Amino acid sequence: MKYRILIVLFLSSVLLLQGCASKEASVNYNNSETEIVSVNDPLEKVNRMVFQFNIIFDKLILRPIAVTYKAIVPEFVRNRVTYSLNNLGMPITAVNNILQGELRKAGISTSRFIINSTVGILGFFDPASSMGLIAENEDFGQTLSVWGVESGPYLVLPFLGPSTPRDFAGLLSTSLLDPMYQVGGGSAPDSLRTYRMGTSAIDFRSQNIEILDDLQNNSIDYYAAVRSFYSQGRESQASNNLESNTQDQENDIFDDFDIDESYVGPDIEVIYD
Amino acid sequence: MIKVKYFSWILIFLLSFATYSQSSEFAQEEEFVSNFAGQAIEILSDEGISENDKTSRFTDVVMNAIDLNLISKFVLSKTWKNSTDEQKERYLIAFKDYFINSYANKLDQYSGEQVQIVGSEAAGKYVIVESNIVREGTDTLKINLKWRLINRDGDIKIIDLNIEGISLVIAQREEFQSFLANNDNDIEKLIDKIITVSN
Repeated sequence: MKYRILIVLFLSSVLLLQGCASKEASVNYNNSETEIVSVNDPLEKVNRMVFQFNIIFDKLILRPIAVTYKAIVPEFVRNRVTYSLNNLGMPITAVNNILQGELRKAGISTSRFIINSTVGILGFFDPASSMGLIAENEDFGQTLSVWGVESGPYLVLPFLGPSTPRDFAGLLSTSLLDPMYQVGGGSAPDSLRTYRMGTSAIDFRSQNIEILDDLQNNSIDYYAAVRSFYSQGRESQASNNLESNTQDQENDIFDDFDIDESYVGPDIEVIYD
Repeated sequence: MIKVKYFSWILIFLLSFATYSQSSEFAQEEEFVSNFAGQAIEILSDEGISENDKTSRFTDVVMNAIDLNLISKFVLSKTWKNSTDEQKERYLIAFKDYFINSYANKLDQYSGEQVQIVGSEAAGKYVIVESNIVREGTDTLKINLKWRLINRDGDIKIIDLNIEGISLVIAQREEFQSFLANNDNDIEKLIDKIITVSN
């Protein structure tokens, strides 16, 4: 037990240090011809290879399972699974609320977990939301960001997909911080954890079959599209907890763009088929 | 019991007042989004027309509501300014096809969601209207949508849709920039790629 904690602490500190160091080494395609693209992806070549591997893994295993799941399990049941996964994640959210100093939110997450696990029949329903107890999921990656840890460069992990050193460290620590891990060794809470981790991959994939298929088929650069989705999504989750707002950054990007009305372009007739 | 009923009526009244007063600042823009969503949903849920009709009517509604010219230039970023008129024209035509293929033609994914306007705020040169859609079959699983609009003297156009913190236009722009960075910043290669993907 202690040994495992040490390993994870070591791994996360190494990753964190790397993250901090590589912040300066981030690649800017600073070329007078093109806009400065400050995408922090110095490992792009390796990442693209792992990404290709993940696509194959997805094609052969994850997607078929998700498609089958969606085909044979009725929507009502699938929604119950989504709810129960959200509920099983609440203890983690509560712990992270506390680590972020958000005691009020921790109270809400805890009440949600208690109410939905009992009144909501093992978390399959969500009466807590109807009572106005609304909480957003928080993981340890987000807590690290509140603590001021930079995300570090973009990383694609085998099987696990898009990440950053910060989020990967968060992922490892989340499993240690998980109250269910602390409470049960091999008992009921432990198998619930296994249920949560395995099922959430399939739950997520089954909710995104069409979207990801479309994205893959219609992308000019699928790797870059996924990278952008991941980075933007994580940034906006992190900014829920920070004073700085990604909305402002986004506004700056759009405002920087000088609306050039000089070239209107051709009036194009498009034939729909 | 009667007391509880009274109380909830008062609460509902107060809540509706609160959302109303909060969202009245950009009433014009909010109405625009709500009209747009309404029109789109009406077409999508119309069982009486053929799939082809549906697609072309939906595409018309989308194309009238957005400023595709501005979006096209924005996603190309600085490369736009360094391109010749002939390249700009080829790019605009290719991007329009691509856009219709990858965004406007996604009718099969619609399954009865309703768009609820939450509020609006100024964002630099633009206005952002915030809305939620509720996932079908649930009443608490919501997806947050933010519409970025430009208002030129009452002529309102959509220039971006942000889904749960992810801006589609910024994602598209990063994708194009990445492609260009990996292909000698050659717009000709990008145009060819866009044409291949949309066919």
